[in-house]
Amino acid sequence: MTAQEATFNRQVIEALQPIHAPPTTFWSKYIWSLDHKTIGKQYLWAGLLFLLVGGTLAMMIRWQWAFPGQPVPILGPTVLRSSGGVIGPGLYMQIFTMHGLIMIFFAITPVLIGAFGNFCIPLMIGARDMAFPWLNALSFWVFALSQCLVIGAFFGDLGAAGAGWTTYPPLSTNIGTPGTGQTLMVAAVFVTGVASIMGGINYVTTVIRLRAPGMTYMRMPLTVWGQFLTAILNVLFIPVLGAGALLLLMDRLFGTQFFIAGAAAVKGGGDPILFQHLFWIFGHPEVYILILPAWGIAADLLAFFARKPAHWYKGTVLAMSAVTILSAVVYGHHMFQTGMNPMLGQGFTTLTLIISIPAEVLFLNWLRTIYKGSIRLTVPMLFALGMVFVFGLGGLTGLYLGAATPDIYLHDTMFVVGHFHFTMAAASFMASIAGLYFWYPKMFGRMMNTTLGKIHFWFSAVGITAVFTGQLLVGYAGQNRRLWNPYAYDIFKPLHGLNQWTSYFAFVLFFAQAIFIWNFLSSMYIGKKAEANPWQVGTLEWSITSPAPVHNYDAIPIVQRGPHELSNPELVRRLGRDWVGQAEVVAEEPGAARMAQGAR
Amino acid sequence: MAATRDVIPYRPAAARGEDTAWLGMFIFLGSWAMMFASLFFSYGVLRFRQATWPPPGTPPLPQLLPAVNTGVLALNALVLQRALSAARRGAKSRVVAGLLEGTLLGAVFVALQVVLWTSLFKSGLALEDGSLAAVVYGLTGFHALHVVVGLLGLGLLLPAVLGGTLNAARNNRLRLWVMYWHFVGVVWLTMYLLIFVV
Repeated sequence: MTAQEATFNRQVIEALQPIHAPPTTFWSKYIWSLDHKTIGKQYLWAGLLFLLVGGTLAMMIRWQWAFPGQPVPILGPTVLRSSGGVIGPGLYMQIFTMHGLIMIFFAITPVLIGAFGNFCIPLMIGARDMAFPWLNALSFWVFALSQCLVIGAFFGDLGAAGAGWTTYPPLSTNIGTPGTGQTLMVAAVFVTGVASIMGGINYVTTVIRLRAPGMTYMRMPLTVWGQFLTAILNVLFIPVLGAGALLLLMDRLFGTQFFIAGAAAVKGGGDPILFQHLFWIFGHPEVYILILPAWGIAADLLAFFARKPAHWYKGTVLAMSAVTILSAVVYGHHMFQTGMNPMLGQGFTTLTLIISIPAEVLFLNWLRTIYKGSIRLTVPMLFALGMVFVFGLGGLTGLYLGAATPDIYLHDTMFVVGHFHFTMAAASFMASIAGLYFWYPKMFGRMMNTTLGKIHFWFSAVGITAVFTGQLLVGYAGQNRRLWNPYAYDIFKPLHGLNQWTSYFAFVLFFAQAIFIWNFLSSMYIGKKAEANPWQVGTLEWSITSPAPVHNYDAIPIVQRGPHELSNPELVRRLGRDWVGQAEVVAEEPGAARMAQGAR
Repeated sequence: MAATRDVIPYRPAAARGEDTAWLGMFIFLGSWAMMFASLFFSYGVLRFRQATWPPPGTPPLPQLLPAVNTGVLALNALVLQRALSAARRGAKSRVVAGLLEGTLLGAVFVALQVVLWTSLFKSGLALEDGSLAAVVYGLTGFHALHVVVGLLGLGLLLPAVLGGTLNAARNNRLRLWVMYWHFVGVVWLTMYLLIFVV
């Protein structure tokens, strides 16, 4: 290529994403910001706040299982004064319902997808912003509206939503839960779905259209792959949940009978099971929506801190894509107990267990990545390893539930609760926190405290493992989920001690998060100033200053190589360091160029 | 640097921006197609749960009105498509005329739907009357909302074209709204065939 052609190319690239003047007013800087980094941070704050709310609700559930019917400390005399400080059966239903819905839709989703997706995708593919910045800002504010509906639901007459996070009719219709709290929560789920779809459209379009020159699909960091596949699932399957929520809202508000059958429906009523189909057609992809970004983040971090390229990168990408496709055809394993044809059950069992093949590929790739690596046990690496550990436990227990035969016995027990908490709660949480420690310098320009981070890790890892193992054990012993007082049944009385110990670990886990909150907030002011590339890795976002400037890149980078070019012996010899930037031009040695041409 | 040349098609930035917008719209409509597919799936499940369809005790559905309305939306699609090709030629008056006709036909569709609902209601089909009523009112009502959104889109585009010139940005807006209208039309055709014909 001539110099003239190169200049022309550069002009074409720059013309596609011109640098806009940085925002100056408070409104355009913090409220209606079009900058993907600010929108990511908005999602982060909103999500972390609701994570705290969801966690508090979880502690109330654990209190009830440890000391059923006794007044709740701290919250009893303040929030629960109207019920005399104790958790009654009705209130208990509302607590676990709100815990589940808040954690999934209003805490993990905004942090893992909203915050990291927005913050990382344009930076890591070398773009200046998302494809549709305006839609991106709208997505956040629609999401904020849905959170307002959630807050409103707490103050509904007859209390908050109480039909379980799955919102099955007939319990979720006006017959089972007539309060406005339930209506507001169904509406909130619909609205947050709209926000997720807007985000998903943006992510998919951005990855397809705005990758920097040379950033081929097979050079994208695995974090971006995780977000990309998640966005595809979001765009395709959130609308199915939306349809379910829409029909349920029509039933609740206008009196239609989509889900009402039996005595309440005289002229050929609807079908409550229909909702379960709609819910789980979405619901199974949803568990991968919440785990794919976590896989991506963990896979990148393992490579970065083992100072090795990710083992069989293409295999990881293929496996993640295979899981994405398979996740769409296995939803029936949530409905083995609905009178499904056993033949169909067998089909769903087979398809479900097939998912373990790509999952194994992923898992082995992670292990081979760290095998014989020069491991640096930084805080993000610890959390990434923690994610591998808890996801392993969650995945293995999934085999029990994916096959129809054991599932019939374990259905609706605490074993199910333990399983999905290991995958969706523990693994997503670990990866989110790993990502926060890792990208904190790029987000806020300072480093988080390492010692506090390590203390936080050990409390979290031990706490999470103990709590959810406790759930698995009582579930295997037969304890049903969602019981207000399990010990009302003689057979569960011997499990009281185990449940109490699980609760103690849960309280420790919860209060240990104060270390993180302190570290996260205080480091913004007293943390060590971060250099551009504190972790010494090569992905694009570390080639610019910390925190990232508004326009990201002064010149759009021209990508030369994959994301994990670490410890390449040739480059170590020539550069004197074990990492090289994705867009870094390493001058070719004249001899090497001749040899390459000769070989061709 | 050879790789760089391969990945940059030599096209003006504006055209690439339009392609990006088209892709975004395509993904959105694909997503929304899943929403309507779920609604049709729900209808199928509800229908096969009944021993007979329509369920006993429900009045017969009107045939003429929805058929006429299908024609109205088909005409609308034709008019808008012609407006779009006029926009590509730069014939502003044809575009304005097409937008006006398209808006009018869309409004006629909504009006006829309201007539359909009221006549159904008068013939004794209340919202609470089982799955047939739920499907007919719920699905067509939700679809009509999309027509109203499309009307808003055309209604906002019309003064912009009328007061200004036809530029690339406005042509692209028109192109995306026509895409949206075609989607709404295809959804209606499916709905008409599934609910009123078979």
